[in-house]
Amino acid sequence: MSVPVSQMWAVASYVVKQRLAGRKRYPLVLMLEPLFRCNLACAGCGKIQYPAQILRKHLTVEQCLAAVDECGTPIVSIPGGEPLMYPDIGPLVKELIARRKYVYLCTNAILLKEKLEAGLFTPSKYFSFSVHLDGLQEEHDEAVCRDGVYVQAVEGIKDALRRGFRVTTNSTLFDGASPLRVREFFDEVMSLGVEGMMISPGYSYSKAPDQEHFLRTQRAHDLFSRVLSDPKPRWRFNQSPLFLQFLMGKRDFECTPWGNPTYNVFGWQRPCYLLQEGYAATFKELLETTRWENYGRSSGNEKCRDCMVHCGYEPSAVHHTFASWRGFRDTVTATVTGRY
Amino acid sequence: MSEGTTLEGWAPQMGPGVSLEEVVDKAFDYRGNVTVVKTDGSETEGYLFNRNADAAVPFVQMFDLNGAGPYTIAYREIRTIRFTGRDTAAGNSYAAWLRAKEAARSGSAPPKGV
Repeated sequence: MSVPVSQMWAVASYVVKQRLAGRKRYPLVLMLEPLFRCNLACAGCGKIQYPAQILRKHLTVEQCLAAVDECGTPIVSIPGGEPLMYPDIGPLVKELIARRKYVYLCTNAILLKEKLEAGLFTPSKYFSFSVHLDGLQEEHDEAVCRDGVYVQAVEGIKDALRRGFRVTTNSTLFDGASPLRVREFFDEVMSLGVEGMMISPGYSYSKAPDQEHFLRTQRAHDLFSRVLSDPKPRWRFNQSPLFLQFLMGKRDFECTPWGNPTYNVFGWQRPCYLLQEGYAATFKELLETTRWENYGRSSGNEKCRDCMVHCGYEPSAVHHTFASWRGFRDTVTATVTGRY
Repeated sequence: MSEGTTLEGWAPQMGPGVSLEEVVDKAFDYRGNVTVVKTDGSETEGYLFNRNADAAVPFVQMFDLNGAGPYTIAYREIRTIRFTGRDTAAGNSYAAWLRAKEAARSGSAPPKGV
């Protein structure tokens, strides 16, 4: 089992409380982006394509904590930009742990060794490094457009594990990925001793005709089926097994765009982590004034047609777990057996 | 607008075929600084990061060139928007990235503009 029991309990009790309170829409994971700056310039990444004065900006710790308190999720994910470049990342993580939030710091790990040696962080069951790795060395260095990053990330992972930190990985799989290489990659990552892996398909907004859309979705299902249909016992995934089944095409979910709300220097992003269609000043305003019916596959929105990304569909999977005994049973079965 | 072209340098005049709402939407999608020209003749240059056409008083929000703000400007106060800053996203789309990767794999040079 890759997620600590205390974390599963925190999420389960939170979801049950939301359901008992009759809340139709509730968030699960806050995506907190304190800055857009990054020490990589991956092609295709929209986060770093801002003018210089925006890349220089960052949230204050107080702004971050106000967003966390307002949103109320049990889990806070800190992507970016590169969060280890955020000058107050140490104090921010400390404050979040004090609030008993489960924190995932998403990093490319280039600065990880340096920050660990500086004593910026203390191991905690509430705190995990989520290291970005998009494949084995060749694939990862190509994805981030710089040689040597894979080796740096692996060194950072080993150092963090040696110091007693929780470490997970997050990986985006793109069209054309080799199932065999992905399986080798999973073996390699687990051999490092990480707690678990997180995977998601790459997202591409395209005005492609329907036929192409079908093939894209089908290709994603094929890829994940070939990768996951015969999982090795040592593989651990730090995410809902129902989401993995969704990726394999065994389940169908509708998107939950409010499930992983995003807060950054512009405010609360509408409608989700991927699409930027405007910003709300408060989380309440985001929930109440976003036209949610315009998003998700059933909406017919072409920007949503090909999307299978975790930030929209993992909350759906978690919601499904607690929506019926069958969903709960299926989740427990997949978790215990490791079969998807 | 097709991929590979950019709005950089565009200075639209409102009129038949060019509405303020359309220009605001394009400025919102633009990954570069713009200059908002107000009806009183004053100008604000910076990054336009938000717009809300559904609000009771439709508005845009922007940070200026020093990062100060956000400044909120009502649609009704805007005469036009000039696309004065460099388009930092030009040629950097996901599709362009895939094409470049494919070109690298096949050993050929990527298409011009990628």
